[in-house]
Amino acid sequence: MKQTRPYALRLSGLLAAFALLGGCATPQPDCASPQSRNLDTAIDQVQAALSAGCEAYYDRYFDDLLTTAEGDPKPENRRAFSEFLLWSTDRGLLSKRQAEHYYNRYFNVKFMSLRSDYNNCAHACPNKQKVLFDMERELSDKERGLLKVTEDSNAYYRADRLFKEVELVLEATCKACAAR
Amino acid sequence: MNDETMRILSAAIGLAAVFATSTAAADTPTIRLFPTTVVEDLRQTGNVARDMETGLQEVIGKLDQQQRLYVESKCEGAENDPGCQRLARQIGASYLEMLTIMEERLPDMEHTVNNTRRSLERGLRNELGKKMTPWTLQETLVGGSAGNAANKPSPTLRGRSGMRLSERFKQYYELVATSGSRGDQSLAVLASDIYLDMQETGVLIERTRQEIARATLMEQLNQSFGIITPEMIEVVGGVKTILFGDEQGEALVAGPPPGSIEPAYRSPLER
Repeated sequence: MKQTRPYALRLSGLLAAFALLGGCATPQPDCASPQSRNLDTAIDQVQAALSAGCEAYYDRYFDDLLTTAEGDPKPENRRAFSEFLLWSTDRGLLSKRQAEHYYNRYFNVKFMSLRSDYNNCAHACPNKQKVLFDMERELSDKERGLLKVTEDSNAYYRADRLFKEVELVLEATCKACAAR
Repeated sequence: MNDETMRILSAAIGLAAVFATSTAAADTPTIRLFPTTVVEDLRQTGNVARDMETGLQEVIGKLDQQQRLYVESKCEGAENDPGCQRLARQIGASYLEMLTIMEERLPDMEHTVNNTRRSLERGLRNELGKKMTPWTLQETLVGGSAGNAANKPSPTLRGRSGMRLSERFKQYYELVATSGSRGDQSLAVLASDIYLDMQETGVLIERTRQEIARATLMEQLNQSFGIITPEMIEVVGGVKTILFGDEQGEALVAGPPPGSIEPAYRSPLER
């Protein structure tokens, strides 16, 4: 009987600790898509969500922002996306390389699919079909970023021409590499 | 500061300026895709093609006239008529004449085309294939600033099948001969364009030579019977298309719509 009181005390202490822990548990963040049709407001909403623990949905948020920007295409949107990506690197959500990849894939004429450390004969030629397939997919992202979001038709048409030029030059170069 | 010191100082500044200029020039990527031999080969191929056209023009004109006369004389279906047989033999003789001219000229053509192809092949393999990564190749094609490149005229792309052969080589020669004023970006496209065309032309010439040998033998046999084969008409049509071009030219690729030329925003993330 002597031992019953401390045991009961210990048990009630444990229960109180559990209750406290339960009370401190972080509520699930609301990772819903931004509701605003205004890009700046949408970016604010996304930044708030990302800061509140929704970083796992980064890709979806980026896509949402592109959709929002498509509703009001203008050259200034390029800066808004650049600043959003820089903010993401500052917050440690993206590495600098990832941010560059996002930005250039959508808003630059050059193709990120062509990044390689090896020469064309050794790398691009044996994988020519894959390289061109990746470029084609990137071109559709550029169509979205350059044409539908920033209305930079000149840059998009240059990217389209660059794709055709790379296709032609690779065809000739790879034939020359193979000819021995 | 005396005069001597001033002279040494100005000489040093001059040297520094020269060094800076040469360093800047060295920094600019220069690709050697058109050595003088290529330019000379292209000129020669153009001349050979022109000679062949001149030689063939007359005989093809004669063939056209004879064929018209054959049709107008209602010889189709009346092959046994002596007059029609005579006409058919004349057409056959002109056809043989055309094949002989081609047979004489094609080896020269084949030689110069193959020379050009080989020189370009070496250049493409070394300069674009081995010295460049896909990224550096892209940067060469874009040329310095991607934004500015949008306003430059489109480089030449393939699709000259509807063009007179000599004119095609003349254009190549002119493009290459004035290539010094062009950026590396259009040189790479131009070299690729010409190389692929030379490869196709080489294969076509080889096949044509084989075909000529066969067609000559067939026609020599036909001569004794005075027959016009549909193949003859087809070959003449084909030769006309290759040499003098067809009427349906390739549709031009539409250029970009006119856009604003004010400098665009440049992100620090841009590569």
